Amino acid sequence: MTSLLQLQSPDFETIGYSFSEGSRPGNKEHGFYPYTDNGGSTLGISGSDFTILAGDTRSVSGYNINSRHSPKVFKIGGDDETGEGAHIILSVVGFAADGQALKESLDGIVNMYKYQHGKPMSVKACAQRLSTILYQKRFFPYYANAILGGLDENGKGALYSYDPVGSYERVQCKAAGSASSLIMPFLDNQVDYKNQYVPGSGEGHALERRKPEPLPRSTVEQLVRDAFTSAVERHIEVGDGLQMMIITASGIEEIYSPLKKD
Amino acid sequence: MKAVENGGTAIGIRCKDGVVLAVEKITTSKLLKPGANKRTATVDRNIGIVSAGLVPDGRHFISRARDEASSWRNIYKGPIPTSALANRLGGYVQAYTLYSSVRPFGVTAIIGGWDPESELLVDGQVGTGPKSGSGGKVEGVKAGGPALYMIEPSGLYWGYHGAATGKGRQAAKAELEKLDLSAGNLSLYDGVKEAARIIFIAHEDSKDKDFELEMTWVSSLDGPTKGRHEEVPTGLLEDAKKAAMRSREREVEDDEDRPKSHDGERMEE
Amino acid sequence: MNHLPQAWGRPRDDVYGTYDRSYLQTSTPNSHTQSPAVTGTSVLAIKFNGGVAMAADKLASYGSLARFTDVKRIRVFDKTTVVGFGGDISDMQYIDRLLDSIDVEENYSSNGNTLNAKNVHTYLAKVLYKRRSKFDPLWNQILVAGFDDDSKPFLSSADLLGTTFSAPHLATGFGAHLAIPILRRLFPEEMPVENIGKEEAVAALRECMKVLFYRDARSLDQYSLAVVTSDGVELKEDEKLEAQSWNFAENIRGYGTQVN
Repeated sequence: MTSLLQLQSPDFETIGYSFSEGSRPGNKEHGFYPYTDNGGSTLGISGSDFTILAGDTRSVSGYNINSRHSPKVFKIGGDDETGEGAHIILSVVGFAADGQALKESLDGIVNMYKYQHGKPMSVKACAQRLSTILYQKRFFPYYANAILGGLDENGKGALYSYDPVGSYERVQCKAAGSASSLIMPFLDNQVDYKNQYVPGSGEGHALERRKPEPLPRSTVEQLVRDAFTSAVERHIEVGDGLQMMIITASGIEEIYSPLKKD
Repeated sequence: MKAVENGGTAIGIRCKDGVVLAVEKITTSKLLKPGANKRTATVDRNIGIVSAGLVPDGRHFISRARDEASSWRNIYKGPIPTSALANRLGGYVQAYTLYSSVRPFGVTAIIGGWDPESELLVDGQVGTGPKSGSGGKVEGVKAGGPALYMIEPSGLYWGYHGAATGKGRQAAKAELEKLDLSAGNLSLYDGVKEAARIIFIAHEDSKDKDFELEMTWVSSLDGPTKGRHEEVPTGLLEDAKKAAMRSREREVEDDEDRPKSHDGERMEE
Repeated sequence: MNHLPQAWGRPRDDVYGTYDRSYLQTSTPNSHTQSPAVTGTSVLAIKFNGGVAMAADKLASYGSLARFTDVKRIRVFDKTTVVGFGGDISDMQYIDRLLDSIDVEENYSSNGNTLNAKNVHTYLAKVLYKRRSKFDPLWNQILVAGFDDDSKPFLSSADLLGTTFSAPHLATGFGAHLAIPILRRLFPEEMPVENIGKEEAVAALRECMKVLFYRDARSLDQYSLAVVTSDGVELKEDEKLEAQSWNFAENIRGYGTQVN
């Protein structure tokens, strides 16, 4: 009797048999994950009368390069497929399919606004609307980091930066994507003049910070090029080509230039 | 019913290697764009429908035909046979005679198609099937061929060698009967010529009105349309029209040569 | 009484009571595809002067089992578009039927089918993206080849997530690892497509198919080859690999039963 009782020891439960039901660690369910990261980086800087949005043109999946010419910056509110007549630009980086869907939905809305109100949507209104679009998918987000650019009601450069669920703010400059952590500190120093001081202004706390002022377009363009050539050196997902869109009162200019393809 | 009988004449000829559909499209205004507002339509790829009567009813009828063809494809993964389409549409038209809340269709429609004679791939089929053994295939079975049906507002439908409806149908029918279509000798190209000629004859009764000749055809897989229902190419259509007009002129001349008597076509009205 | 056509022949609620829809419910919730079943491997394609060439082998695998050996994975749409499918075969068949119904409907307009490869690609990418967003993906990687709105050669890719991209040469699956480097070496991307001849392009694809057969365990030595030019699609579905050489296998160590 005792021996029988001993059989009911806690050990009994832990003994496994090949025919027993339960979790089999070797048999894993192959789930579907609806996201991927297509890499790349984007960057936006606004000036006194212009805004620049830039991105590399590489598309990756894992260690593979899908394409060396896959633009990340788009014209919003254009009259046709080429984006002719647009007055807002958008860059998206992250999951490219979501980025594409986001761009198309914003483009549709900006165009509908134009048809219904008979005037182009302001960048400010568009920025708020983009936030709403992103937040509408709060619990199945667009896996993309967006930057919106244009000129504000006073003709000054306007730049808005977003997280994937719609939190946004107007900024002077912003880097997004896989190399954002490499580019952003460079921008802090070169655009906001962080850690730059006026020479000979004093010692310790008396040291006077260098005052940031709006940069001229040529300087900003060079900063963008430098930021990307540096990022290409240190990040494998960035490279191939640089796409720059410059929006001014006279329209949108698009410039492509090569980056290292390694 | 009156409306059905007074539309432009529409005819269909079932030839040995295809089917021709033709319609006399009365142009009610010079402001209408030539070649627009088609009265013939394609259903699936291999079937054509032309109707006489109320144009909007015809449009709905065609829409239903396309839905039937697509639902057949969804179930059977292949094109609907013309006979089955005629059957389904016959049932549909008949249902509109049963209820007080709806009126019957104001069209008589002619359905012409070519059912593929060769074994067809199943939609979405990926392989070629077994290389040895029968593989469920029976060799040398004769299948498919030309088909022509006409559906009336009552839902009544018959298969025809030659069908005509619309205002000039009596004259057209008389001409169709002369062709001896049941012998199965008329070629598709001759059918095109005859169809054009018959529409011109049928137009005699409403000579004061302008009209456009609209013609479509469907041939066997190795014929000019490769089993598809298409518009008759412009060149061929123009040739057929010219030939039709020439033969009309000849007939008129013959009439004038003969001592004046008002029998023949006039009697048939 | 409801006289509308959609009510014809249906049991009347006032006679039979409202229909109890609970009988329609199945006991288990709907389950979506979480993994592919019967799959095809790589598809390769390359643009050349005046057209695009595409190749895909004829194998459909069930896991590691070579299940079907005569599967045509390159599909023709209208006259100058081809679609190459990697991934789940049944989803490929579904998409093929979808394209077929679009082709039928497109031909209803009197000006005929005007959809080009670019339009087909945009459409398929949206179908795929919509399905992934419903967590019910169509498990395919797709290459679309043909011409764009300006009648220039067009080649683009779309996958089960809805991701799209375009390049002068593309490959799905194993081909992305093995064929792309070969094609990039033969035809650098900065080289204009106009400098690539049709024969060169086809020869390169055949060479890549051979490399894939050597190294991809889920591949076959029989394949389909499509060449799209403005004259139309030339689709050969009975191609075989020629001049194979397995001499390299002698030097492989560590996988087989050899001792040293």
